[in-house]
Amino acid sequence: MWYAILILLILRKLIVAQTVLETLGISKSFAKIKANQNINIKLYEGEIISILGENGAGKSTLMNILYGLYRPDEGRILLNGAEFEASSPREAITKGLGMVHQHFMLVETLSVTQNIILGEEPRSWFGINYRKAREDIINLSKRYHLKIDPDEIIANLTVGLQQRVEILKALYRKARILILDEPTSVLTPQEIEDFFSIVKNLRDQGTSVIIITHKLEEIRAISDRVYILRKGRITGEFITRDVSVVDLANHMVGRDVILQVNRTNHETLDEICFRIDDLKVMNNRGIPAVDGLSLYVKPGEIVGIAGVDGNGQEELSEAVIGTRRIQDGAIHLRDQSIKHWSIENRIENGIGYVPADRQKDGLILPFSIAENVLLGNQNARSMIRYGHINRSAIRNRATKLISRFSIVAGGPDLPANYLSGGNQQKLILAREFDREPDFLLVSQPTRGLDVGAIEYIHNQLITMRDRNVGILLISMELEEIFSLADRILVIFRGRILKEFEREEATMNDVGFYMTGGTHRNSSNV
Amino acid sequence: MFETSKSFLVIRICTILFIVIGIVLFLGSRHIGLVFLGAACVLWLIGEVLENGKKHLIEVLKSGFKTIRLPLAGIFLAFFIGGIFLLITGYQPLKSFGAMIYGGLVKNWHVSILNAVPLIFTALSITIAFKGGLFNIGAEGQYYVGTMAATWLGIRFDLPSLVAIPLIFIIAGGCGAAYNAIPAILKVKTGAHEVVTTMMFAYIARTISSLFIRFNGGDPTLSAHAYITDSISESTWLPTFKSFLPQANYRLHIGILIAVITALAVHHILHRTRLGFEIRAVGLNSFAARTQGIAVGRIILITMLLAGLLAAFAGVTQVLGLDHKMFENINAGYGWNGIAVALLAGTSSIAVVFCALFWGALDAGGQYMSRTLQTPTSIVEIVKGLILFLILARYLFRYFRRKA
Repeated sequence: MWYAILILLILRKLIVAQTVLETLGISKSFAKIKANQNINIKLYEGEIISILGENGAGKSTLMNILYGLYRPDEGRILLNGAEFEASSPREAITKGLGMVHQHFMLVETLSVTQNIILGEEPRSWFGINYRKAREDIINLSKRYHLKIDPDEIIANLTVGLQQRVEILKALYRKARILILDEPTSVLTPQEIEDFFSIVKNLRDQGTSVIIITHKLEEIRAISDRVYILRKGRITGEFITRDVSVVDLANHMVGRDVILQVNRTNHETLDEICFRIDDLKVMNNRGIPAVDGLSLYVKPGEIVGIAGVDGNGQEELSEAVIGTRRIQDGAIHLRDQSIKHWSIENRIENGIGYVPADRQKDGLILPFSIAENVLLGNQNARSMIRYGHINRSAIRNRATKLISRFSIVAGGPDLPANYLSGGNQQKLILAREFDREPDFLLVSQPTRGLDVGAIEYIHNQLITMRDRNVGILLISMELEEIFSLADRILVIFRGRILKEFEREEATMNDVGFYMTGGTHRNSSNV
Repeated sequence: MFETSKSFLVIRICTILFIVIGIVLFLGSRHIGLVFLGAACVLWLIGEVLENGKKHLIEVLKSGFKTIRLPLAGIFLAFFIGGIFLLITGYQPLKSFGAMIYGGLVKNWHVSILNAVPLIFTALSITIAFKGGLFNIGAEGQYYVGTMAATWLGIRFDLPSLVAIPLIFIIAGGCGAAYNAIPAILKVKTGAHEVVTTMMFAYIARTISSLFIRFNGGDPTLSAHAYITDSISESTWLPTFKSFLPQANYRLHIGILIAVITALAVHHILHRTRLGFEIRAVGLNSFAARTQGIAVGRIILITMLLAGLLAAFAGVTQVLGLDHKMFENINAGYGWNGIAVALLAGTSSIAVVFCALFWGALDAGGQYMSRTLQTPTSIVEIVKGLILFLILARYLFRYFRRKA
């Protein structure tokens, strides 16, 4: 009996893998924002885990804490069971942590060998021992099946090969734990396949891998376990093979309490105020991000675009407002093609825009509230006449908007960076509403806001709709789409994959199409 | 604006008038000018209260005091450290600095003002570019272009002063703007950084200037005139204060008046007009500016043109007002010093005037000091460098505090 237990214990020790990395209650805040709250994750030897979360969920913060770039406010990290506190990336590297950033950290003009050994050069009497370095790298690449020409210049390599160099760089520094930040975002489908087999190979040779991503399919393809991060907290932990993509999506997007929106029924007018036909837009790397997208918006309705982040939403909104070039297709405002209009023209003719990144695209933070109200209204005769700003007019206007939209601010002269996130967003909405647009593009209007502000903004959007404004709402938050939209379009890889009327849509169905609509079987498990 | 606050406008115009009269009288060695300048200050305050209310004014004064505190401390500290240098090298710091202050502010105060004139223009040029998020490091080059254009026109023009002088200002300023248009277009079209391109263009202009001098009277066979152009015709000289106020110093020309008015104009453009609003918007956040319908490329181009124009004005006043000809290798680096003045002024176009006067006084005082006490003028350069360093340290300090 005793022997049996002992043998079992020994066997367990042998079978159950060793924990290599463990975080215990890690928290980190930036100013008021809690980027990480009580994060507990475990990483075993020879395992691939994914950390899934949307932009701003706190993935990068967590990784930067592990990698020694940030110091956690609370919590501990255990590395191979010992207390670990990296104060710099260099220290993290020496303790066996390697990181491959989303944007590669390579010197483009140097060779593969030079890049890999940079900072860790093998020495000889006369300087760097390139011969040894080269041999080491060739051995390494054979061992891990990472085929690469050590003498090639980085600039001549494809992105996939550059990533390989980054991985080799980490392995050369004897990394036992590899952190990969959005590794597939820059790869072509073929390269992604190669990448998967490389990572699996690494795992089989005992390296532990953490993949940070917001792409659902990849997680299923590659990882053993997955942690879901949402608003700085771990909201789920799954064995990958036991979980469906739809479940993952639901956890990632979240199903908070549905907020109270006074959503009355409103008759939409039977005309079209905004139409997109077969739109094609490239992303920054020249790959089509919006690829043959068509939609229309009627006055007095809110059309919601649901989708996982990175399926062309950003490029779509940039194309509509005019900051991104349209490759092909057409955009019509009422009956006019606006494809070749300047941004100024679009604004003046009734397109309103609430950008996703309010601090970057929406406001000029050092400007006062009054000046921010003026922004975008440079042609309004009530504010600027003969090229001169009518200060008292813009100040009056700002004061009016502050009270009408209950913006909490000292006065119109307060710089916008003294406002809270919610009040900044209210200011943007106030400015756009004040222009009385015919069509309003709203992207991620409540990201990062507290419940009160969300409710307020939702109700304002409904009010706008009731005044027969056509609203196109892009949101990663399913519940937001459900509480606002009259029609729901699902975007996937730059196309509208499916259209629902509000009444007939369910979260499950929409989630199913958000992931491409091909995992129906697994979702029924 | 015109309907709602006519009284405000009247007060503003009076303020400017008082400033002009005050400067003229004061420079004409009449102390009543100070009274006018004081009255102008009061009028300005009244105007502010009228437009923005009392509370706002108090806030403005408070923040003004806050922003001026650190640079002042920096200046004192710089003099203190400079004094230590003097002590170590065996000069008497108190006596030297005494001579410097006496020379710069009392004995040779008109030299201080003459030094300040081109500095105000170049610093304004850098300030306006700064507001637009650009670093016009090559103001020196535009200064040279302005100098050359003014000399070339001045030698050839045979027109009455009232026509010739404004014409020269316009044409030479245009040349400076056109010269800066090339880096501006490169910036807008290809993204070439203006720091690199304008600096390169500064050296080009400088090199061309030697050729220009050879072609316009600088005869290499004559040792006397090898490095000097012919004089410009007298009708194009800027009037001096002496011509209508006999007590004034004979070298003081109305350039300082033009400079101060330009500073006020730049301030007005930046803070009161649509153009200035757009320039500042682009400078602070070009993404938001673009998203809100501002043509960012066009604004960058206009900003650079204005910067070129202002820097060229520095050259024009220098030629028409002071030298009346062009010398080779005899410039005080107004372009480069303009950067220092603009930084010291913290990108406020009004503060530029005072900082330029201060900078000019440092130079004038330094020369007086070395002439009377044989203390080397390099101490002035040391103090200048220290001031700049301490001012920039303020930015560093702020940067680190934000990071922490």
